Amino acid sequence: MAVDTKDFIPPLELDYEQEMKRWKHLFQVLNEPEPKIGHTPRTEVWRKNKSVLWHYPATQKKYQIPLFFVYSLFNKPYILDFAPKVSVIEGLTNRGYDVYLLDWGTPGYEDKNIGMDTYIEKYLRTAVRRAIRHSGADEMTIVGYCLGGTIASIYASIAEEPIKNLIVATVPIDFTEFAGPDKWMEGFRNGDINVDRLIDVYGNVPSTYVEAMFRAVSAPIYFSHYTTLLNRAHDARYVEKWRRMNKWTTDQVPFAGEAFRQLANDLFKENKLIKQELMIGNKPVDLKNIKSNLLVISSSNDNLVPESQSLPIMDLVSSEDKTYKLVEAGHVSLALTGLFALVVDEWASTRSNPLKLL
Amino acid sequence: MSTKSSFDPYDSFKKYSEIWEKQINDFLFLLSNNNEFVKMSKVETDTHARYLEAFKKNQEAVAGVLNLPTKNDLANVTSLTIQTEEKIDSLEEKIWDIQDSLKSQSKEIESVIDVSKEIIKLTKQLKTELGKTKKELADSKNLKGELQEIRFELNKLNNLKEDLEILKSQFKNDHPIEPVLTGAGSNK
Repeated sequence: MAVDTKDFIPPLELDYEQEMKRWKHLFQVLNEPEPKIGHTPRTEVWRKNKSVLWHYPATQKKYQIPLFFVYSLFNKPYILDFAPKVSVIEGLTNRGYDVYLLDWGTPGYEDKNIGMDTYIEKYLRTAVRRAIRHSGADEMTIVGYCLGGTIASIYASIAEEPIKNLIVATVPIDFTEFAGPDKWMEGFRNGDINVDRLIDVYGNVPSTYVEAMFRAVSAPIYFSHYTTLLNRAHDARYVEKWRRMNKWTTDQVPFAGEAFRQLANDLFKENKLIKQELMIGNKPVDLKNIKSNLLVISSSNDNLVPESQSLPIMDLVSSEDKTYKLVEAGHVSLALTGLFALVVDEWASTRSNPLKLL
Repeated sequence: MSTKSSFDPYDSFKKYSEIWEKQINDFLFLLSNNNEFVKMSKVETDTHARYLEAFKKNQEAVAGVLNLPTKNDLANVTSLTIQTEEKIDSLEEKIWDIQDSLKSQSKEIESVIDVSKEIIKLTKQLKTELGKTKKELADSKNLKGELQEIRFELNKLNNLKEDLEILKSQFKNDHPIEPVLTGAGSNK
């Protein structure tokens, strides 16, 4: 008896118009120039070495205290100004905040001796002073994202500048837990994995190594984003978003050697920030010195910085006004979707000295 | 009417790719999450580092012989540029301090000027008041003179009154009133 395949295989019904769009968009991804980045109008306030302090003026200023963004040293900060309508910075300038962003830049071989203390004392501190001077404000709100949050927290604990509010998102503070394989962390802590020698020969950690490190921790083999693109390539908006996201994820920056050495040894290996043993220059870093209003944001689907790495900061600071917020997002999607702007505005609007508008 | 949904090959491919990806990554996780893998990676990174060290050392040696600048030389030059930038930054901050002190000084000067203006205004007012007082004093002097004149006139009037009184009494004494009988003149 002959078997009719139609009985168990669903009919293949392709929409040919959709197919044409799908393949057209796919070829565009391959052939078109890279998407434009940086949409929100900005001006350069200060520049040192490769770092630039940008100012994004408020569309209509409603708050006296500006926001100062500190982003991670691992990636480029344009994820905060990703695309029109979903840009975090655009969202905040439209809500009436003056925004400053310190772009660390791309370190070269000559920057191999830049350590965390140099980044904090000679770059971040100067940039904050410049922003205060430029804005004419008496105080500042520091916003740190990912490792930028760790840097912002360390800076806030030794800062002489007037910091009214500190906002940190998806921030690693306690390095007891590690997102990757536990035996790697064990090997790292007992000295089987040692980055010192590699840093000595390379100077900086090359960007390909940085990318490989993140891949190794999250998913070493990663191709599903291409199949997702193939699946949804008929949707022009999705393709545009995919292109931007793909550009950002593959656009890693090298990590300054000395800073990576400190990060790996002092924070990852010895967890000195939690133990109050970290030194920046000749100053001991004690998070208890943070008295600013504090907002800590964690993402529930963050597979890179789990909640347990951020939560301890709540008990370590002296701030009287402190808020912890767990949002439904991933490590990157919090910034990518613009949700971060909403969360920041909701909290900061009452703490940024609203201006009396006529 | 058929209840079967249409077959989307892209959707199925996506789902399978995700499953494959997860399976491969889980396998790699199991493969790498052990002490032996960690120790092996240490041997490999050490070997890699040694190879690079030797390569760099030779590169530096060759560049030295051929008098070619290396990345280290460029890094040294760049550090000078960064030092210069830092010096310019610190100078700029000093200029800020000077600007700030100048601003505060000019504010102080402005406040002194304001006080001086007030003093000048007050002095002018006092001067006007003084003029008025002088005028009033002169008026009061005139009034005093006039009053004295009036007093003098009054005194004169008093004297006149007294004279009149005297005259009246003298007149009375010189012409005493004689008693006249009623009807005495009718007999003549």
